[in-house]
Amino acid sequence: MFSETGKTKMRSAAWRVSMWGALAFAFGTMVLFVFLHGFVSNDIQRRSDAWLSGEVEVLADVAERTPKDALYGRVVKEVAELASKEVPDRQKSDDALNNSVFFLQLAPDGSQALWVGEGDGSLHLNAIRSTKMAPDIPSDIRVTGHEIPFRVVSDRLQNGSLIYLGLSERDELRVLRNLRLRFVLIWLLIVSFGAAIVFYTTRRMLGHVRRITEAASRIGESDLSSRVPTTRRRDEVAHLAFTLNRMLDRIENSVHQLHTITDSLAHDLRSPLTAVRAKLEMSLTMGVRGEDSESIVSAIEEIDRLTEFLNKSLDVAEAKADALRLERVEIDLNEVLKVMVDLYEPSLFEQGLQIRLLSGEPAVISADAALVHRMISNLFDNELKHLRPTSTVTVSLHSFDGSALLVVEDDGPGFAREVLPSIFKSRAKGPNSNGRGLGLAFVEAVVRAHNGMIEASRSEAGGARIAIVLPLAHAEQRAMDVVEMTFE
Amino acid sequence: MIRGKALLRLKISAMLEHQSMRLLLVEDEVEIQGFLKRSLTEAGYQVDAAGDGKSAERLAVEGQYDALIVDLGLPDQDGITLILKLRELGVTVPVLILSARRSVDDRVRGLEQGGDDYLTKPFALAELLARLRNLLKRNSSSSAEATRIRVLDLELDLLRREASRGKEMLNLTPQEFVLLEYLCRNAGRVVTRSMILDQVWGMRIQPDTNVVDVHIYRLRGKVDLDGYRPLIRTLRGVGYVLRDR
Repeated sequence: MFSETGKTKMRSAAWRVSMWGALAFAFGTMVLFVFLHGFVSNDIQRRSDAWLSGEVEVLADVAERTPKDALYGRVVKEVAELASKEVPDRQKSDDALNNSVFFLQLAPDGSQALWVGEGDGSLHLNAIRSTKMAPDIPSDIRVTGHEIPFRVVSDRLQNGSLIYLGLSERDELRVLRNLRLRFVLIWLLIVSFGAAIVFYTTRRMLGHVRRITEAASRIGESDLSSRVPTTRRRDEVAHLAFTLNRMLDRIENSVHQLHTITDSLAHDLRSPLTAVRAKLEMSLTMGVRGEDSESIVSAIEEIDRLTEFLNKSLDVAEAKADALRLERVEIDLNEVLKVMVDLYEPSLFEQGLQIRLLSGEPAVISADAALVHRMISNLFDNELKHLRPTSTVTVSLHSFDGSALLVVEDDGPGFAREVLPSIFKSRAKGPNSNGRGLGLAFVEAVVRAHNGMIEASRSEAGGARIAIVLPLAHAEQRAMDVVEMTFE
Repeated sequence: MIRGKALLRLKISAMLEHQSMRLLLVEDEVEIQGFLKRSLTEAGYQVDAAGDGKSAERLAVEGQYDALIVDLGLPDQDGITLILKLRELGVTVPVLILSARRSVDDRVRGLEQGGDDYLTKPFALAELLARLRNLLKRNSSSSAEATRIRVLDLELDLLRREASRGKEMLNLTPQEFVLLEYLCRNAGRVVTRSMILDQVWGMRIQPDTNVVDVHIYRLRGKVDLDGYRPLIRTLRGVGYVLRDR
């Protein structure tokens, strides 16, 4: 269950938007930081170089002015130690001697004359000797035993001896490391916070979209009177809802108009038909005899056929406009077929036809029972009317992928080639047909109204084949769930 | 095949069944009203007729009727509004709704669940009479279901699903038994094809082929044996009737 919700969230557009948003934001701020970092480290370098150059000048001055006696070493050493305490960004330490700084004086012959700093200075001297250095320009020296390089500047005294002042880059690097660490922490915080904000706002917004979708899909099913929810804000989503509702108003209006037209047409035709039928029935009871009664009877039958024709054509007209009114209940197609085959079997048998029903398991669909009954009876009527004796009608029903597949086929002459492309249009009929050509148009109308598909083709035996696919009741539910999950 | 006279006789027999039943017919179209009033009177009901909602309301409240027949399209108001108003005024008798509309209104469906019935125009008189009978029967609580039905020398055992004619057992399929049972329950009354389809097969369809006739034909072959008096009769243009006298 948990992984299901997790997956659902991952599939949501809100998740994608916040992921991409956070990624873009993180990348942008990272580039900005790299730039700033470079700027800051250059500045620190420049400041420490300025300090080094200043100090080395002071030391050179002191070294030159101080007489070369026994006190020389101590004076220079003290000056160097003092200088070391003024190192920029120095880490506070109680040590009298700051080990991040060294001072080295070389005699004109190249031997070590004075050393102030950690150790005996031989390692530093080796490192300096192995590096080419231009005077007065600070450069990096790597000393064995020290992980962090020293920034070293040199100066030549008038007597030809060289002095070196070195400053470990430790403090500089520490400052930069602190900067980076703080940046990364704050960066992570901001990025995740921003992503969360984006995620929740997008999700909220998409929640409106989801509710609109849900409402719209409900409306499409049957009920045209309800509307998608609107919000008080004036953003794009509210606009979408508003536009959808206005569109629904128009659709409802035209569907309503269509219903009014068909209703009044039906009413205007049925009322006189009722009166005529009543009169005919009356004259039948008045004792009309012989041939007169025959014609009255056939007139009544003709009226009944006309009524059914009227119903069918209005149904077809409404279905063409996707406005067929459905009263959905759950029905088992398998049961309906069994009853229908049972009903039609004697008539088919009388005509020398055989019928086979290939079906076993139930196929429950959510449909208007009366329409589905009439649809199947139309298909069977078609077979009865068009098949020659000794033909076999095969009716099969299978369920797969959340759909029910109903196939009615025969081994008769099949559909005439010229009617096949327009077989589901009203008034399409074969050259030998004496019907009004509404049967299959009605069948198609019912299938359409139930979100199904229909296909007419030539059967393997060369006869007519009509295949109908209707969504199973619970498959529709599942499809709705998928929509819901995607937007969750 | 029987014609006018037979139908008349059937109506007289119906008349004896419910002598004092009073009906209120609310129908604005004069021709249909006249026909219905006459036919219902012939069938033995006492019928008052109203042409609009207002007078119908007055009559229904004042008079004591056993059932109402209401057309939905009245000149001054909607038939359903009238029925709902009458219900509020305490008129609880069953209503048979006549409708020329295409679709069955949700409110009609609600009334149907409340024990009322509806019939779409145009209808066969036999069907109207049958539905009316059902409504009135529903209203007066019927006696316990019988386990055997006898019509002349035809006998049906409803528990064992067996039928016999005189001393001969009839070899019926289950479906044929149900059909015969329906005819027997309505013995002496006309049943239309659409009533048979509705009651026996549970479908409100209008096939334009002779499916019901073939079933009746087969059943007749099994029930109306040689040497016995034919019981199942065809009234062309109307339906079938099982003779009960």
